[in-house]
Amino acid sequence: MAVQPEIEKKSILQTVLDAADDVFTRLTAGIPAAEVRRMIRGEPPGRPNPRLKPHSEAFLLHIKPTYYHESVTRFTHTFRLGLLSTYLFFVETITGLILMIWYAPTPERAYADMIRLLSNVPFGQFMRDMHRLGAELMVAIVTLHMVRTYLTGSYKAPRQFTWFTGVILLVITLFLSFSGYLLPWDQLAFWAVTIGTSMAEAVPPAIVGETVNLLARGAPDIGANGLLRFYLLHVLFLPLLLFLFFFVHYYKVVHFGISLPSSEEEVGQDTANKVPADRRVYFLPDVMIDEASFLIGFTALMVLATTFFFSAPLESIANPQSTPLHTVAPWYFYWLQGLLKIADKTIAGVIIPGVLLVLLAAIPYLDRNPSRRARDRRVAIISGIVAGIVMIILSWMGTPYYAVQAAPAVEVVQELMPEEGAGLVREIGYKHLPLGVYDTREHPVTDDPEFNEVLHEFAAAIARYEEKDPTFNNAYGILKITQEQPNLKRITWEIYWVSPEGVEDRFIRTFFLHKDSLYWEQYGLKNFSFLRPATEE
Amino acid sequence: MKQPWYSFLYVRSPIVKISLAIASLLLMIVLFLFMGLIEEQRMEAQTANWIGREIEKGAELYANNCYNCHGVDGKGLPGVAPALHSKYFFTQRLKDIGWTGSLHDYVALTVAAGRPSKVQSQWAVMMPTWSQRYGGPFRDDQVQAVTAFVLNWEEDALKQGTPDNPDPWQPFLDAPSKATAEEGAAPAAEVTPEPTGPRPPQELFVSMGCVGCHNLDQPQTPTNRGPVGPNLGNLHETAGTHGMDAFTYVHDSIVNPNAYIVEGYTAGIMPSNFAERMSEEEINALVEWLLDPNRQR
Ligand code: HEM
Repeated sequence: MAVQPEIEKKSILQTVLDAADDVFTRLTAGIPAAEVRRMIRGEPPGRPNPRLKPHSEAFLLHIKPTYYHESVTRFTHTFRLGLLSTYLFFVETITGLILMIWYAPTPERAYADMIRLLSNVPFGQFMRDMHRLGAELMVAIVTLHMVRTYLTGSYKAPRQFTWFTGVILLVITLFLSFSGYLLPWDQLAFWAVTIGTSMAEAVPPAIVGETVNLLARGAPDIGANGLLRFYLLHVLFLPLLLFLFFFVHYYKVVHFGISLPSSEEEVGQDTANKVPADRRVYFLPDVMIDEASFLIGFTALMVLATTFFFSAPLESIANPQSTPLHTVAPWYFYWLQGLLKIADKTIAGVIIPGVLLVLLAAIPYLDRNPSRRARDRRVAIISGIVAGIVMIILSWMGTPYYAVQAAPAVEVVQELMPEEGAGLVREIGYKHLPLGVYDTREHPVTDDPEFNEVLHEFAAAIARYEEKDPTFNNAYGILKITQEQPNLKRITWEIYWVSPEGVEDRFIRTFFLHKDSLYWEQYGLKNFSFLRPATEE
Repeated sequence: MKQPWYSFLYVRSPIVKISLAIASLLLMIVLFLFMGLIEEQRMEAQTANWIGREIEKGAELYANNCYNCHGVDGKGLPGVAPALHSKYFFTQRLKDIGWTGSLHDYVALTVAAGRPSKVQSQWAVMMPTWSQRYGGPFRDDQVQAVTAFVLNWEEDALKQGTPDNPDPWQPFLDAPSKATAEEGAAPAAEVTPEPTGPRPPQELFVSMGCVGCHNLDQPQTPTNRGPVGPNLGNLHETAGTHGMDAFTYVHDSIVNPNAYIVEGYTAGIMPSNFAERMSEEEINALVEWLLDPNRQR
């Protein structure tokens, strides 16, 4: 349109204002400024409702429903867990892409790249911690989302297929986490994944298992090929698959509408899509404000946690020749590790998880009870709770506390100075380890309260195992701390005991600790000691 | 419709939601500012951390693989392998051999490739090849770690050269030192301070360097022979089979090693000055200990 006649007809000011409103309306995909003002004031939409326009104009919004039933927008109905799962996938994609800049998936570089990322890239550690935290949260949130839909009976007709795609999403999420686990190429990663993939080997018949294992690892053992394959799974194949299934899942969610609280409709009915006009909550602006503020708040909590309380672990570089004591899977696979302790690999690693998965996917088809009300679903809810408890018990059995004790002397040292990770001694660090020889029989006390704590724990651990283990008698320990080099101390643990046959035995383990090395735990207040000006030794 | 009893907990007002979102954004800005402010120091601490951990790893590798020949404290073993924890090594060695690269590269290269030749070597054993690239056991990061550990002696080594803290190096025959006396890198006249009393055989076996070439645990059999010197695991059985009593045989082999060379080994490898470096009393104790079937380490 020509500008000249326009100005002649209206004033200049009006023309400019109209043009500005036009631009504004394009940017908001159809909502003029006046309507935005009405939104903010909480007034009802004009007619025809301009707030529906963006849902047909804008690609991202056409996926979202235009309005929701008031009952399903209550926080305690969905806990926003599906939304959160989606958002966490988004967070993982962004942080993951940034991490990829400094990472090359080869055994020669992967671990060194991690170190470079931590020590040479501004905000590199933040990105890594955030990505790791997001991954663990995503597993937790997706699982909770499943629990929520189970408890509200939302998998029942017509949403059976929504549930089924959800199960696929859960499996992909777990595999995503697991494949990412290997990438830092440290001992933790290497051995968890070695054990994990060795379960694939147990798939009967042997030829199939071996082939699957070979395909995953790219060689009989994990090496350069395995790392590359896991990398490609992690950054390309699985995310694409998740993306695809997410849209199938979400299409179904929108198509059927989020199920109403069961008390609001008759048993066997599904009125989610018939929302009376007075119960409608429009996406624009109400649900959008709600979701956006919720996600921003959640992000702030994640950033807070990463700043102060969460540090992704990085142990020694992967060493195929030495299995560290007590290798553990990530926590969300503890249950599997627990199962593996009580049954053999084929049953616990392949058959039981396989059957569980099929059962999980088939729940909507097995549960023929049409009612979604808790009162009518006692069997379903109780079996759900029992399954949850069994999972928790199995997970506990998966931790090193259950049934994998090494010799008492080995365990004592592991408690104070584990082969991998931090432990009390490394946490108090070099400057709290005075040189000398400390014999637990003499109950030595030093000027350093933090070191006294170590000595106390040492004696206490020995006493505890002495009481528990009949093969470990008259035990005592000697801790020797010597200066090995400038800024490097040698810490020797010697434990002596008498076996039931009266034979004296001993265990000696040596570690080195450098003045500058920092060790940290994954969860817990971060170590900010580097902020203090270096104190004189 | 009936609301659940806990519905008072719901945040309904959009204004409150928006305010909470803004507060969250502000919180994030504060957190990022905080992180940004300490980021420099955090990276420095991390850098130092990984160097420290590398030295720890190197110390472990050294203690498991190198100390047998280069000594527990890196001061070398006479006739077996040179001192690394030595001022000469840190200040003069590279000049003497005309090496133009860095000491780090020199150490890393020597560790990786070893000195797998005995031609013109003054040392009883060859330095094995350590890097997996040349058939050894170490990965690249392990070669780097041991190197970092060896270089970490520098601060201590530079303090050497005083009478009570002598430089333990023994002159290299491949490249005689060109150092002038005032550079302070001249060898100490006597490496080990004179002992006060008889030293125990266990200690002597290590400090005299025997451990570098003789394995105490492995038996010497036709199929299981020590590569440099015979294994001593079954010495109490074999020593008496050479036409003299076991004690004399072992004693003579220490004092005058070239008098009788076990078949398959070369004369002149084992140092022949042990009689000067140990007292007769010490040698006798050492022989008895070596012949003890229940020898304690
Ligand atoms: C990456 C994983 C997943 C994502 C991103 C995702 C996303 C979503 C979203 C956004 C919703 C909308 C309602 C809500 O927020 O609760 C939803 C609903 C639903 N999801 Fe998921 N989901 C995932 C995994 C799962 C899993 C593991 C299951 C079950 C095995 C599942 C079953 C369902 C069902 C049955 C509904 C319909 C709920 C209703 O209508 O009340 N989803 N999902």
